[in-house]
Amino acid sequence: MPEIMDSSTAVNDSAVSGDASVSSSGNQMPPPKAEKKKRNLPGMPDPDAEVIALSPKTLMATNRFVCEICNKGFQRDQNLQLHRRGHNLPWKLRQRSSKEIRKRVYVCPEESCVHHDPSRALGDLTGIKKHYFRKHGEKKWKCEKCSKKYAVQSDWKAHSKICGTREYKCDCGTLFSRRDSFITHRAFCDALAVESAKEPVAPPSVEEELDPQTVDPSPPSPPVQSPPSVPTSSAAISLVLPDQTPALDSTELQDDPIPKSTQIINDTATPVQVASLTASCSSSSNSSNTGSTRSTVFASLFASSTASGSMHSQASGFTDFVHATAQADLIHDLGPSLSIEPTSLCLATNHGSSIFGTAGQECRQYALPPQPAMSATALLQKAAQMGAAATNASLLRGLGVVSSTSSSGQQHWNGQQFESGSASLAVGLGLGLPYDGGSGLKELMMGTPSVFNPKYTTLDLLGLGMAAGGGPTGELSALMTSIGGGLDPAPSYGNAEFSGEKYGRSS
Amino acid sequence: MDRVIFTPKGTQFLQYDINEHECNINGHHQLDMQSTNQSSLTSTSRGSSESGEPSGDTKWASKLLKDCAKAISDKDSSKIHHLLWMLNELASPYGDCDQKLASYFLQALFCKATESGQRCYKTLISVAEKSHSFDSARKLILKFQEVSPWTTFGHVASNGAILEALEGESKVHIIDISNTLCTQWPTLLEAMATRNDETPRLKLTVVVTENMVRSVMKEIAQRMEKFARLMGVPFEFNVVTGLNRLGGITKESLGVQEDEAVAINCMGALRRVEVEERGAVIKMLSSLNPRVVTVVEEEADFSSPRNDFVKCFDESLRFYTLYFEMLEESFVPTSNERLMLERESARSMVRVLACDEDHQNGTFSGDCERREKGNQWSERLKENFTQFSFSDDCIDDVKALLKRYRAGWSLVQPQENDLGIYLTWKDEPIVWASAWKP
Repeated sequence: MPEIMDSSTAVNDSAVSGDASVSSSGNQMPPPKAEKKKRNLPGMPDPDAEVIALSPKTLMATNRFVCEICNKGFQRDQNLQLHRRGHNLPWKLRQRSSKEIRKRVYVCPEESCVHHDPSRALGDLTGIKKHYFRKHGEKKWKCEKCSKKYAVQSDWKAHSKICGTREYKCDCGTLFSRRDSFITHRAFCDALAVESAKEPVAPPSVEEELDPQTVDPSPPSPPVQSPPSVPTSSAAISLVLPDQTPALDSTELQDDPIPKSTQIINDTATPVQVASLTASCSSSSNSSNTGSTRSTVFASLFASSTASGSMHSQASGFTDFVHATAQADLIHDLGPSLSIEPTSLCLATNHGSSIFGTAGQECRQYALPPQPAMSATALLQKAAQMGAAATNASLLRGLGVVSSTSSSGQQHWNGQQFESGSASLAVGLGLGLPYDGGSGLKELMMGTPSVFNPKYTTLDLLGLGMAAGGGPTGELSALMTSIGGGLDPAPSYGNAEFSGEKYGRSS
Repeated sequence: MDRVIFTPKGTQFLQYDINEHECNINGHHQLDMQSTNQSSLTSTSRGSSESGEPSGDTKWASKLLKDCAKAISDKDSSKIHHLLWMLNELASPYGDCDQKLASYFLQALFCKATESGQRCYKTLISVAEKSHSFDSARKLILKFQEVSPWTTFGHVASNGAILEALEGESKVHIIDISNTLCTQWPTLLEAMATRNDETPRLKLTVVVTENMVRSVMKEIAQRMEKFARLMGVPFEFNVVTGLNRLGGITKESLGVQEDEAVAINCMGALRRVEVEERGAVIKMLSSLNPRVVTVVEEEADFSSPRNDFVKCFDESLRFYTLYFEMLEESFVPTSNERLMLERESARSMVRVLACDEDHQNGTFSGDCERREKGNQWSERLKENFTQFSFSDDCIDDVKALLKRYRAGWSLVQPQENDLGIYLTWKDEPIVWASAWKP
């Protein structure tokens, strides 16, 4: 081992100086993403490269270069030399050799590890060090807020910055800012219960799965390129997209979905936007006869959410798919997950009309069992009242979901739902909008791509398919439930048990 | 529903001296109106239309209830009638904290005064069972955990101790005596799946005595098994349902095997054992030779003053006032989950305050609700166990947990002779968590 260490010292120094900038710029990016890419790339090193096998001790070593005066330790000899200068000791900085250095690649000392094989060696020293810490080292950096532990300090730092702000999203649409409540929810959520015997998630990757930033920063692929097996949704999308593309910078959207979505909401207020949005909507809903002011308001809202949501889904959904296929080793059991893929896409075909039902199914299951036979209007009014108190954004989510229905499944809107409930729905919208609109859209945006996500969505889509047959009344009430459901318990207040008792007593 | 059982009767019973106390009542009407306005719940307002003048006395419920308990203890029937009538006028399960407390404690006091505790308790249970389902139970418990660390505090502390005690074991058996519907276990499963050494085989045995819990265990089992598969933890799930009281628990029924490392998780479990049987149950648990026993209990003493009605009532009122205030600050006013939790407390109040005689006849079934304080439990547990200290990591986890709830929660670490840790709410200890080993 000592011999190896010695050989590595030189490597260390030379590699490090070139490396420093890489690692620091790496920290600027969303770290899990960056790591995922590095770690999971098959690792096809230059065959001419020199393969370096460092010992665990070397990889773990910190501050190996100790000052004999003050015992201060340094990770690099260069730094120690600079330090020695402060003690007025002789010092010497290694000159960077001007001649071409032979490329080096690094293997993991852990024999069971995929990167132990020289053919999967990693291309830089920092990479192998981080890999070794993450995969085989002790997680000694602990987040104060969520107690998640990290082996690499920079990972921990990056996490600490965003901890609590990120949201974990379950297939059922519920968002969580706390990891443990998300885990508990996952175990009890029906989205998991629906899941068949497949195992889409391997335990160590849970955190990555939970990561909302799965959006690939690569530029969005145009709608035409969307997989041909999703005709319904892509049709709906392409109707809306042409109008939207100039107005919104999709690349920016991708980079930072959260603030941008808020931006969109505000934008809908500006005349130009509204016009374009309305236009896009009427083009998508030209089969509908509802041309009144009221429906235009709806339409613009719907269009806005559809547009942003769908653009997002187009881009990230598709690239995710490509991504997943390319980086197949990311998924533990490659075979099953790939075989799931066509199924989920295939199911997505129907989702234009059935997505409405999904939210419904989920909410129905969460709702208290004795749902009173309230009229649709009463429910809507209730929801409108609740909308004011509701702090979560399911209202918009619900409507956003509806929007995709409205473009592909017009009958719903022209049918009973629309007639019975439109007036109060407008109230609901008015009240709901000023509230967390941004996160509503965000949720939508995060939600839509997940339909395309190869790993989890199978469950989701199974749920969708099952709920597709739900009648309009059920869907409507489910929508209302979803408006206040999720994070805010308010809506169930309106149920008969409560009000009945209350009035029974006072009379 | 539950109000119907009591209200018409109560009104009848109290009808005759309305005139006598009119002045008083008007005074309280004002209070009532005012508090109603504050809580923005208009539907609870009484017929009176006079405008409310603010008054300094906001804790009227506590005073009236205590007076009433005293009158019952003194068997002063005219005072009892007067106070019950007044409470009945002012109380509402949908009002502010005072109104809610008045309403539920009035029910217990009425049961005590009329010796109808057992009947009332049974009715309350059957009403609750009727509207109970997996969905409602799940929603309730997850929502409660989202807004308050009341149960999650114990979960995190216990899981920390369990993980530590079972570290390196390849075959582990967790015996779960709790009513938290396995919501404690997903995070533990995840921790086991991601820990550095080999993922152990996990056997989880859940001991269930309540019908309501029993009825949802099938759904829970299904979900736990799926989740364990998802996490890649080899998993076996058992439910022990044959018991109708925890005192009857036996070593055989738990299916402990020689080669297993056993952990016993008692979340609010020991208080459900009849006071006389507690020693025996603890002894039985120690005979399983567990690596760790985690004990989490609510910090109240309904046990030592159980022969002194007034004392017991005061303690009960103290504890549930804290609990109701905590619920009020944690939930939105119109939360159905909050209402369900309050009703659960109401059942517990009736059980503790008005059902003792029935229980002593041996005719009573259902869980005991006589809580003890941490130091009392420690005395009992010390007879068979020694303390298993929570590690720094575990304490950190609990602290991190509390940070994520709204202000008011904190962790109090053991003083010199105290064992375990306390969850405090506004500086009042309310939940106690501890870990033990043989």
